[in-house]
Amino acid sequence: MMTDLEWIKAAAMMGAGISVGLAAIGAAIGEGYTAGKANEALSYRPHLIGDILKTMLVGQAVAETAGIFGLVISMLLLFSPMEGKPLLTAWAYIGAGFSMGLSSIGCGVGAGIPAATACQGIGRQPSVSGHLSALMLIGSGVAQSTAIYGFLIALLLLFKSLPPEVTLIPACSLVGAGICMGFGGIGPGIGEGIAAGEAVSSVARNPVTMSLMTRTMLVGQAVTESTGIYSLVIALLLVLTI
Amino acid sequence: MEISGPDLIRAFEMLGAAISMGLGAIGPALGEGYAAGKALEAIGRRPEEAGLLTRTMLVGQAVTESTGIYSLVIALLLLFVV
Repeated sequence: MMTDLEWIKAAAMMGAGISVGLAAIGAAIGEGYTAGKANEALSYRPHLIGDILKTMLVGQAVAETAGIFGLVISMLLLFSPMEGKPLLTAWAYIGAGFSMGLSSIGCGVGAGIPAATACQGIGRQPSVSGHLSALMLIGSGVAQSTAIYGFLIALLLLFKSLPPEVTLIPACSLVGAGICMGFGGIGPGIGEGIAAGEAVSSVARNPVTMSLMTRTMLVGQAVTESTGIYSLVIALLLVLTI
Repeated sequence: MEISGPDLIRAFEMLGAAISMGLGAIGPALGEGYAAGKALEAIGRRPEEAGLLTRTMLVGQAVTESTGIYSLVIALLLLFVV
């Protein structure tokens, strides 16, 4: 017969694995795509190695943040004190893992796309590399937003005080909040990344349109973000009505 | 843990709302991002048509958004009404 503490520990191990495992998928795909496109650009313009390498590393660092969020949640799950916590905590830990892990997939891939097109764009127009890096950072920063929502829901699930008795309804709400925010974060991350990538490559073709592009990109990304915000609202409703 | 029928139904309403909104958010966001990307590419080619292209982008995105709103409606119905 297992004690409550053993169940909670088992769930924490499971949640830690889910969080960092799923988060690693997106970050790795995004960074690999960036590195591939940087190499392609270098094959045409080998003398631009300094600029292209710098942009590639900055872009990969932004794509990596989603993976780092997953690692942080996984560490918190492994080393948080579990003695005397109610059994419902076990369900909250699994929900936290899903929320952080799944939402990071989209953001890692999404942040990699503008970084890749920025490397290509510098190969095309080396004189505007500053503009391209700035637009890349704005675009990938916006693409990270749903990973931050996932991080928020995961922290809320980790540190919320829960009722002592176990019933099925709050248990399903806790896991459900994680699943809702996790899957809801995949699409906006990738979609915003595609929009930012096209904006960066258009500025590389026609640098005078920089301010028009930034404005239109942010409008398009704001609309793309809406389903991520719906997911955040449903996840918050699920957690806070317990 | 004693599970009664109404409890089980309510619990699965919670899970159903989560799955509805979570999975329902993937498609619209990918589609809207693709629309925004292509609009930006077109504005890069013809900056003088920026107004027309932004308007068309927003109309296309509004239609793409509809399935996301269906998911939100179903999730809210499951949480508060049914």
